[in-house]
Order: sequence, then C-alpha cells, then structure tokens
Amino acid sequence: MTAVEAGNDDIRRIEAEAVPTRFARGWHCLGLSEKFKDGKPHTVKAFGQKLVVFQSGDGKLNVLDAYCRHMGGDLSQGEIKGDEIACPFHDWRWGGDGRCKKIPYSRRVPLRARTASWVTMDQDGLLFVWNDPEGNPPPPEVTIPRMEGATRDDWTDWVWTETVVHTNCREVVDNVVDMAHFFYVHYSFPTYFKNIFEGHVATQIMKGTGRQDTRPPAKDGEPKLLGNDSVASYHGPSFMIDELTYHYDTMDINSVLINAHYPIDANSFVLHSGIIVQRTDTLPGPAADEMARKMSSFILKGFDQDVQIWKNKARIDNPLLCEEDGPVYQLRRWYEQFYVDVADVRPEMVERFEFELDTTRPVEAWKREVEENLARKAAELSASTGRPA
Amino acid sequence: MTIRPDDRLLDAPMQPLTCRRCGAGVQVRKASWHQTSVQWNADATGTCQERRTAGAGVFAGCAALRDSIVQAALDGEIAVPEES
Repeated sequence: MTAVEAGNDDIRRIEAEAVPTRFARGWHCLGLSEKFKDGKPHTVKAFGQKLVVFQSGDGKLNVLDAYCRHMGGDLSQGEIKGDEIACPFHDWRWGGDGRCKKIPYSRRVPLRARTASWVTMDQDGLLFVWNDPEGNPPPPEVTIPRMEGATRDDWTDWVWTETVVHTNCREVVDNVVDMAHFFYVHYSFPTYFKNIFEGHVATQIMKGTGRQDTRPPAKDGEPKLLGNDSVASYHGPSFMIDELTYHYDTMDINSVLINAHYPIDANSFVLHSGIIVQRTDTLPGPAADEMARKMSSFILKGFDQDVQIWKNKARIDNPLLCEEDGPVYQLRRWYEQFYVDVADVRPEMVERFEFELDTTRPVEAWKREVEENLARKAAELSASTGRPA
Repeated sequence: MTIRPDDRLLDAPMQPLTCRRCGAGVQVRKASWHQTSVQWNADATGTCQERRTAGAGVFAGCAALRDSIVQAALDGEIAVPEES
C-alpha cells in the first residue's frame, strides 16, 4: 500500500539548468572499427564538431578535426594518400598526429600547421576515441577492459546497431539506477539490484526473472527461461559492458552486451548496441548467431521504448524520488566528474557508493529475528539485574 | 552542473557504522529491510580487508561489512523504517 503524506500544498517545480556545453572526458566508442577500414575517409559528427576518421597506410585508425586549417576544406570529403588524409580543396596532407606533413605545391609547410587530433584505440573490433576538453592523454588506469569473447571463435561476431537520439545523453546514463523502469518499460522483474559507483566506473548488478504476464509461456520442448544475471559497468561516461547470462531449465546462455553512446552535440547523441553470444554444445554455430540477432532486436525494442519516453519528457535536475527509487542523485554526482577539469574532481564524485536491493529474504524473516533479538536482550537484562523484564 | 543532494536523506540521514571485522568506518542507510545504501570514503576502502585483497574487476561488496550492517539493523543500531 502507498501511504500518501499530507501537509505540503506547494506545487513542486521541475528545475533544469541549461545542458552542459562541454563534452565528457573519457573513451567514446565510434562503432565497429571494420566500418572505417574501407580505404575511405569517414565523417563523424561528435563532441559538437565534425571529425574525419581515416585509416592510414600503416593500418592505424586516426581521428582529426574535419576542417583543414588552410582554407577550411572538409577533410572527410578528401582522399587517403599513404599515411595522410589529403584535403579535397588544395591537397594539403595531414597525418594522424594532427600535423601537416606536406603541401604538394609548396616547398615548406608553415609553422603552426597543426590541427586537433584525438587519441584512438582499436580494440576488440571497436574504435574508441579519447575526448578531453583539457587536451590531456588518457591516464593508464582509465581504460576499456578487454572483452575475451570479442576475439574468440567460440563466440559470435558483433551484432551492432546505431541509432541517433535527439536529447541530451544524460538521459541514457540515468537508466543505470532506474530500477523501476525495468519493470514498467522493459518488462523484467528484478529480485536483486545493486549499484556501485567507484572511481570512473559505475556498475549495475541485477538478477531477475522475466515477467510471466508479458511473455508467452514456453511451448512443450522449448527451453524454459528461469531468469537472468547481469553485471553491467560504465567504464567512464559512455561505454557500458554488460555480462549477461540467461538461465534456462536446460542451459545457460552467456552473452556480452554493449550499451554505448557518443554525443553529437548538447542535444543529440548516437546510441550504440552491440552483442556477442557464446557458442556451446546446446547453442552451436548458427543457433548462437540466430540468438545474437534475436537478442539484438530485443535490445532495439528496449531502446525504442526508452526513446519514446526521452522524446517527450522534460529534462529534470531535481527528480522527486520515493524510497523505492534508485540512487539518481548519487549517480549524477559520479557522472559530474567527467564534466569538470581533472583538478576539480572532488572526492565525493569518485568515492565508493553502494545501493542494494535484495528481495530474496522475506520481510517476515527479518522481523522474526528482530523479535528474537529483543527477547534475548530482555532476558539477558533480567538475568543481570535479577528482575523480570 | 550543480551537484544536488538527495532529498530523501533529509528525513532519514545516513548513519555511521564500523565494520566489526576490520574497523572500516562507513555511512549506512536502510530505506527498508530489503534496501541498503553504503557510502565509503578513501579511508574505508583502504582499511577494508576484503576490498584490499579483491582481484581486478568490479568489487561487488564486502561480506563482513554486509554482516555488520545486518547485525546493526537487527540490533536497532541502524534505523529501518516500518513497512506501512
């Protein structure tokens, strides 16, 4: 039962500061690296800018500001020549380090011929860029962990999707703590839920069962879904790895899910989903591929449900929370570390915080134990004072 | 952006708790028998035995601290709101 508390007749106002004009410090995934290895430069709109992504002759993927420092030509419309990207306007050649290497019609490259470049990482089939408004390189302890299954033959290839969403990207990050929305928006039923924020990592641990009311019962001979286990961590502001296991009566299905995004500008972002599934004796080759495709379309359905909400909702800095809600304020406190200079990161943004909901032990059991404790204490008291309690 | 406080802490603030095994001091709050929040600081993560010997990857939590919190709740040292 919900108890309605009386006593305050003021209307609650929704408050929202302007969306930040600064973009988060951290690793951002631009998608499957294969996509950028077709010998052509690619245009990527990110961090409020236009970027060019190109593979140099040495195989490395490079990311530069797309606009040539000469006369402003768009390098992403240019051509890859050896290790450099050539501007379509006057053929100025730019290296992956952001320096102009050659001007074919000039004997000398002018001083200051340097453009903005991003540190890249090509790992587990994915291209990452390091964004830092202060221009520092990534510290060694801030990295994206390797995903073993991504390069192994007994796992499927990535099934990857990209969706443009027209809202500020804080909305997607908020989902990490929003326990109740899993029930109402995604039809799952968490029996155990935990958030852990520490350093640059925010984790969500969830054990759940599927809701019987939204899913047709398994037919005879079909494996019956019993529940799922999920450990999902944001490694920095935008890249979440979810180790998700589905438990069936006849088998377990192991998968790794990616939920990642990068900001296009303050009011839009590209949302990525990725999935790989482990092949097993009960889920061999093509069956695992089919499962990965199915799960991918299931995730997309979930994204669509989120997007429907985001498209129409208000940005809110002062959400009114009930006790059953997750730690929205503590998550946002953690998230803030990526929007300030490193020198301004305060301990409270990175110190460990845990929020746990464990419904596996019934309340009656707790209450019984409290009563026993109280009775024992009373008995001890009366024994020591010689008086009945 | 301004960091805003969680209004729920106004009615029921976090309470200090010392782990019965290692003496790490944390702040604890229970919104119900099922729910627990724990705020650590650098001293606590440095003191916690399980935390210090944990391997790489996510440290899901300290079992000894969890037991300490359960015991403190059962003993009435950590407040647990009555379910209505």
